[in-house]
Amino acid sequence: MLAREAGDFYWMGRYIERTEQTARLLRHQLTGLVDTPADELALGWRVLYRTLGQSVPDTPEDADEAEAFLIADAYTLAGTLVEDETVPDSMISCWRAARANASQLRPQLPLRVWTCLNRGYLWIRDCDFPGAWKIRPVELVAEGIDRLRLLAGVVDAVMPRDDSWRFLELGRFVERFQHQTSLLDSWDRIGCAPKRQPALTWADLLRVCGAYELYCRRFTMTVHRGEVLDLMIRDPEVPRSLRFALYRIENLLVGIDPLGNRHPLAPPHRVALRLAAVLEADAGGPNSPGPGEGRESGLFERLAQDGQALHDRVMAAYVDYPVEEGLPT
Amino acid sequence: MNASDATSTGGAGNSREVVGTAGSGAFSQYDLDPRFFDEMFRADGVPRTVCRRLGKFLDRVPAEELARVQDSVHRRFIHEGITFTVLGKQEVSEHIIPIDCIPRILTSDEWQHIEDGIGQRLRAVNLFLKDIYNEGRSLRDGVVPADLVLGCPQYRVEMRGVKVPHDVYVAVGGTDIVRTNAGFAVLEDNMRVPSGVSYMLACREATKRALPTLYREHRVREVSTYPERLYSTLVSLSSRAGTPRVAVLTPGRYNSAYYEHAFLAGQMGADLVEGRDLVVHNANLYARTSSGLRRIDVIYRRIDDDFTDPVTFRGDSALGAAGLFHAYRAGNVVLANAPGTGVADDKAVYVFIPDIIRYFLGEEPILANVETHLCRSRDGLAHTLDNLQDLVVKEVGGSGGYGMLVGPQSTAREREEYADRLRADPANFIAQPVLDLSRASCFVEGSLQPRHVDVRPFTLHGRDGQNVVPGGLCRVALQRGNLVVNSSQGGGCKDLWVLRD
Repeated sequence: MLAREAGDFYWMGRYIERTEQTARLLRHQLTGLVDTPADELALGWRVLYRTLGQSVPDTPEDADEAEAFLIADAYTLAGTLVEDETVPDSMISCWRAARANASQLRPQLPLRVWTCLNRGYLWIRDCDFPGAWKIRPVELVAEGIDRLRLLAGVVDAVMPRDDSWRFLELGRFVERFQHQTSLLDSWDRIGCAPKRQPALTWADLLRVCGAYELYCRRFTMTVHRGEVLDLMIRDPEVPRSLRFALYRIENLLVGIDPLGNRHPLAPPHRVALRLAAVLEADAGGPNSPGPGEGRESGLFERLAQDGQALHDRVMAAYVDYPVEEGLPT
Repeated sequence: MNASDATSTGGAGNSREVVGTAGSGAFSQYDLDPRFFDEMFRADGVPRTVCRRLGKFLDRVPAEELARVQDSVHRRFIHEGITFTVLGKQEVSEHIIPIDCIPRILTSDEWQHIEDGIGQRLRAVNLFLKDIYNEGRSLRDGVVPADLVLGCPQYRVEMRGVKVPHDVYVAVGGTDIVRTNAGFAVLEDNMRVPSGVSYMLACREATKRALPTLYREHRVREVSTYPERLYSTLVSLSSRAGTPRVAVLTPGRYNSAYYEHAFLAGQMGADLVEGRDLVVHNANLYARTSSGLRRIDVIYRRIDDDFTDPVTFRGDSALGAAGLFHAYRAGNVVLANAPGTGVADDKAVYVFIPDIIRYFLGEEPILANVETHLCRSRDGLAHTLDNLQDLVVKEVGGSGGYGMLVGPQSTAREREEYADRLRADPANFIAQPVLDLSRASCFVEGSLQPRHVDVRPFTLHGRDGQNVVPGGLCRVALQRGNLVVNSSQGGGCKDLWVLRD
């Protein structure tokens, strides 16, 4: 596959994943508008924007005013992340970017995948946002999620498991890894309102990540921070855990570039192995301090750095490599 | 009743049963005009034999059902992103080419006439191009004025003496054919990078799905093999042993025909490359892949000569690959079409194509040219200036309907301004009479109405000869009375059904 196309598949995967991540967070936040106390909502917006690597737009400097703003302008804030085409991480921007990548991949992309992605984009492009915000804000975001899931299903059903699929999936899981790292870090740092029971806040995180039911089955209905973080960081069976994403990344890299074939321990593989080692080493043995006892913030910083390094190495190895490397002798 | 039901109940065409007469029933809005050949009806308003079944179908199917069919075809284009791109001053926008769901029908004999004519034309053009870039015999013999050819902006001196694989300069040609009351004629040749074939295929797929029974009953000849034929043609030009690697070279996704580039690459299993994907090393062409560089043997280029290679042609081009022409001269890569083929579709050279056919093939042209006046001649210029209000004036290197004056539809001021341009550079213009383009039945504004059409068939020329798919891009001017069918000027398209014997 052309290096440019590999890059396009990779970015298409990233943008699709980013759209869904943003939509999931927004759905949680918009659902909470009905009955969540103001201070919690304000925190929610801060978590959301911090997770996406952005500052809350035009927030008053005074803390009280800022909080009032965050509540009163909930739909403005949500709208920014859904329909504002000038915001790079908004749903419509990500969808458009994914479609732009896909449009350059038409020869490689099954028609059904393109059609599904295109229809999703046309839906959000032509959406009556003012009407939707008035009547059904949650449904709007939920429909976006449904359309993304449909797309994921179509990809799963019709794409051959060749490099096109591998780069697409690699993009998705690198994005997921970085996003989840940011989300867990943000939630852990600022997610808990002082007056609220921490268990409820952590249960919310599990719901955002679609892991609440699993947690209840595996542990108890009483949610503990340490167990939540342990689950979302290290459990290889939770689709939105860091370990799960990393596991997929490792496998995809091996598929793209089998070890010992082209690049023995090529840079992206090395970074992925290092990340896996970090997660394993930090898991702790039976006598080590329990999870969630203050070690995570340092861990998240390191994971964030290595996640970025992984992205950079993927691009350098397969997309933007120097031409001289490939010249025949 | 749905479209399929309506067709089924229509049954086989019965020569005694006259249905779907122009001016009555579903065709009540259909005004026959004797000035224009009507593809559907005879002069007395009765459907032509070949269109009887279609006429019967259209007469019976409710307008709402036709609207539904039209809508389904339109939606298919939108959802599948069958678009062309328009570059504005501020932004890039995607447009759906309007499609009319009612097919235009040609008999097998009519098609054979067209096929023979365009095949003959392309054979002659390839011989002509070989000649002007080598011996120049036809120029010395005065078949075409030497200054016209050598002064043509599309003439590439870099191509002089270049050994072109199998002497195939034009591997893919498109010829715009019109029909008037006098018969078929060639309006224009497209010998550089003819586009539109993907819309032909998309129209066919959409129409087939929308009118399945009608399609089956008509025994229409297939066009879906075009990508396969194109691939075979391209591969046949390569001297590389084994399976040559083919790539489609596109300017990128902002090009108006990008959908077509992507479509053809996908159908052929070829790489869709941009200049930035290509590297020339030791006079070989490589594409950057995710696992290193891979050699490319054949380039089906969809960019103009000027932009293919910044080293040889325009130095400011970022669309091509530096050194590509060097690799081509060395015989290590095939370029289809070859650089410099634009001479053959220059609108001034067009006038001489019948002479070129006679000179190189010793045959009479099967398809006539449209009467054309060269403004480079004193008489031609005088005639054009005296009759601007009745003529269509075009730039010799123009395309897409841009930069032309349609006399009868122009204002006095526009004609004055155009006359100034003509006097300033007469060699840059030709003039033609306003053509009485034939009209075909279209579903417009909720009723059946006639609209002007032309057709662009595509001819492939490979090592082993020519190949023409039985069909073409049937372009239609959807606005009442409009004669310009180009999509860039608001034209649409419809499927062309060529029937079996």
